Amino acid sequence: MITRKVMLLGEIGVGKSSLARRLVFDKFAFDYKPTIGVDVFRYEVPVRAGHAPMVLIVWDTDGNFGDAIFRHIYMKEAAAALIIGDLSRPPTLDSMVKLGAGFSGAFPGRHIGYIVNKTDLLPEPETRPLPAELTRPGISLIRTSAKTGDHVPEAFISAADCIARRGQ
Amino acid sequence: MSQKLSSPPPTASPAAASEPVGRFPAQRRLSSEPPPELFPAILDAAFMVAGYGSFGLVWLDCELQATRSYGSLVEFIKLDAPVTDSVLALYGMETEILNLRAAPGRILELPAIGVAQPDGDTKRLNFSIFWQQSQDAFLVLIYRVASQTEIELELSRQIRARLMAEATVTAKSKELARANTDLESFAAIISHDLKGPMRHLRRLTQQLATETEAAGHHPLSLRLSEIETQSQRMSQMLSALLDYSSLGRKYEALAPVDTAALIESVAASLPKSGIAISISGSWPTIWTLAAPLDLVLRNLIDNAVKHHDREQGAIEVSCVEGVNALTISVSDDGPGISQKHHEAAFLPFRTLNADQNADSTGMGLAMVKKVVETAGGAIVLSSDPAEKRGTTFVVSWPTHMAV
Repeated sequence: MITRKVMLLGEIGVGKSSLARRLVFDKFAFDYKPTIGVDVFRYEVPVRAGHAPMVLIVWDTDGNFGDAIFRHIYMKEAAAALIIGDLSRPPTLDSMVKLGAGFSGAFPGRHIGYIVNKTDLLPEPETRPLPAELTRPGISLIRTSAKTGDHVPEAFISAADCIARRGQ
Repeated sequence: MSQKLSSPPPTASPAAASEPVGRFPAQRRLSSEPPPELFPAILDAAFMVAGYGSFGLVWLDCELQATRSYGSLVEFIKLDAPVTDSVLALYGMETEILNLRAAPGRILELPAIGVAQPDGDTKRLNFSIFWQQSQDAFLVLIYRVASQTEIELELSRQIRARLMAEATVTAKSKELARANTDLESFAAIISHDLKGPMRHLRRLTQQLATETEAAGHHPLSLRLSEIETQSQRMSQMLSALLDYSSLGRKYEALAPVDTAALIESVAASLPKSGIAISISGSWPTIWTLAAPLDLVLRNLIDNAVKHHDREQGAIEVSCVEGVNALTISVSDDGPGISQKHHEAAFLPFRTLNADQNADSTGMGLAMVKKVVETAGGAIVLSSDPAEKRGTTFVVSWPTHMAV
């Protein structure tokens, strides 16, 4: 089985841990516990016809890393980054753009998936404005809610498919 | 404490477990080799510390399979299996680990990694990996994120929670400021655009009233005159609304303002009436915005005159210079404002005078409050007609204004 490493990046409190726990344990914790350091999860991508089986090693990083994460040994052999923002906090969406640029600079050619999380907090989340860089054609962007579980597996499965397509 | 040890310890160098960071083994830093008689004691201490759950050791062969382990922090390590099966964080770092063979003394450090334990708990552990030449194996030293942790983690949590709350407040404030700007723009546009048709309406009404009067329709002429009065009032209200909405957008340079001269000029410019205005206190020269302060003083005094219910009365205006602000009070001996109306008195278009024909748009105090707060000051109203006649407005006007 193919195993690939995926980094979850994003500012403090955007829901990185909640997404990982929703994905792996299908649970959501209502009390906020910031990640100090890193948590690493294993996610077996559901088997689908025409897709090779894949396991994602999901690195849930401390939001305090900021740009320093790209120089950290934790990033070794990362096949992709999922960059997460909080729809209810526009500054975190701007940070997504910066983190995306940082990752593509440090790891050219690797897949970047953008996840706009916490769609449950706002009415009509699809219509909320996003930074222009996140809505360009060809950008992989998925709106999720770790709280309700909406589109969470899709975001990771989509990343797995992109990794497979790129042969990384 | 009964801790299950996975296997007996190999003959590892006791110094290995105590070397925290950097190049290893850094023997130059040791003052001397431990005397042989101390070896049993050191090993005993190592057993004890490992048994108490302070560290664990795992040996990996050249295929990075876990072959042996020691200590109570290693219960999650599967022996005779790739170490990446037990420590997911090591996935992708195989090359880095294997390269340690070529660099004896180098340590690969992976701090603060959350590891799920067999009991379901998650421990946050540090991993230090190095090549142990004597054993022809890689040694993984596992130790707990130090006991600084609980307090530090709690502090970190609190700081982060505060940062998040601040970020939310900042975002909400920006949103609110934007909404207020939109509202002001809207009010400005509406009031400006309505003034034109209103002028036209008044002109037509005046013409009609003149023609009707000339034709001898006196009762009709009176009605038309009433319409004209009301439309004139509406024009005043539109002008006031336009002024109010543009208050926050008017900027000027800070300049030294002689507040004594300013208040004298304001008092002198008001229409003469039976209401006497007395000025007292200390009125210094301060660096401020002259026009807003003028507006505040003029409106407060004018308001006191306008709403006085007697032919004769008195208004006292005084100023006290504080460290950071002037405290200006404007007191009158008018009818006062009932306490239930104190809040409403500062709202736009709220006039507490029942006479709709009175020369008041109900915007005076709203503008005063907005100007004072824009300047960074505050205004308080005190009045209780049930106890005593009169109203006092106290304005705190900053003496060090930032523009």
